[in-house]
Amino acid sequence: MLTDRELERYRRQIAFFGEEAQERLANARVVIVGAGGLGCPVALYLAAAGVGEVRLVDGDVVDLTNLNRQVLHGDRDVGRAKVESAAEKLRAQNPEITVVAIRATLDEENAALLVDGADLIVDATDNFAARYILNRVALGARVPLIHGAVRGFDGQATTIIPGRTACLECIFPVAPPGEDVIPVVGTTPGIIGLVQANEAIKYITGTGDLLADRLLVWDGRAATMTTLPVNRQKDCGACGIDRHSRR
Amino acid sequence: MQVRVRTFARLREAIGGDLMLEVPEGATMSRLLAAVGETSEQAGEALFEENGDLRAYVILMHNGRRVRRAEAGTRPLADGDEVALFPPVAGG
Repeated sequence: MLTDRELERYRRQIAFFGEEAQERLANARVVIVGAGGLGCPVALYLAAAGVGEVRLVDGDVVDLTNLNRQVLHGDRDVGRAKVESAAEKLRAQNPEITVVAIRATLDEENAALLVDGADLIVDATDNFAARYILNRVALGARVPLIHGAVRGFDGQATTIIPGRTACLECIFPVAPPGEDVIPVVGTTPGIIGLVQANEAIKYITGTGDLLADRLLVWDGRAATMTTLPVNRQKDCGACGIDRHSRR
Repeated sequence: MQVRVRTFARLREAIGGDLMLEVPEGATMSRLLAAVGETSEQAGEALFEENGDLRAYVILMHNGRRVRRAEAGTRPLADGDEVALFPPVAGG
């Protein structure tokens, strides 16, 4: 049951999707992997929306070069663990929710534990090695994964429902090349992060149409958003029905 | 025949936007990609590895459907078709 304070706090969105949807948000546990350019807006808006537990996972500390886009961190946070800096702002934004800060870098060994108990996982990482690990863990646990990635003025997002939609490896069987420094205009992860947060709210509340089997592509230079259809691949190494017959 | 090429992200930067290309009747996806690569040095570098292979991470779409890289050499195109070239991004 929502308290009077919660009913008041979330009144504008309850007016839209109702109390039951708000209760679903309050009962949801969302794990956000990455507390950087994407993770900051995702976490802030999910906290504000009243997601009951926001679990943030990131092993890095705040660097001065992060501040053009990682908007939960400020000048005084440089040198602090990103998850601690972010958690402090989220708790100040919404003391009614639980914020769990886990300072860890996701890898194959710890991934399952880090996302254990999640209703939803948000990919706010900055590299495909971590994304592929997250994709497989999400498939194994049958927990939806909301993918986002950015570079420069360009971004992409999609929602993966295990067993139903294309997974990350169906869509991106080959990772784009890594770069030492990925250039990013701060607004790009802001926009893609909010698309991801929007997907999370829709999934939890059962509202609208998800980016299921659709890859959203944002071009900030042209200010256009397009969705490209994507499909499950039978021979996908992560989720394909043929994968066991492959060597 | 004419084929429309939609480009995204870094490929759009390199190629300069969408293209309308004239290719021979019955041309395959591979033939079209070569023609895209020939539009400029930048376009060629953005699409192909040094050994001439298409960059493996580029997603190919033909009339809204995903095309596997292995199919590009045999996939015939028709007049008025649309091909989309999407190179995913990786930052966060």
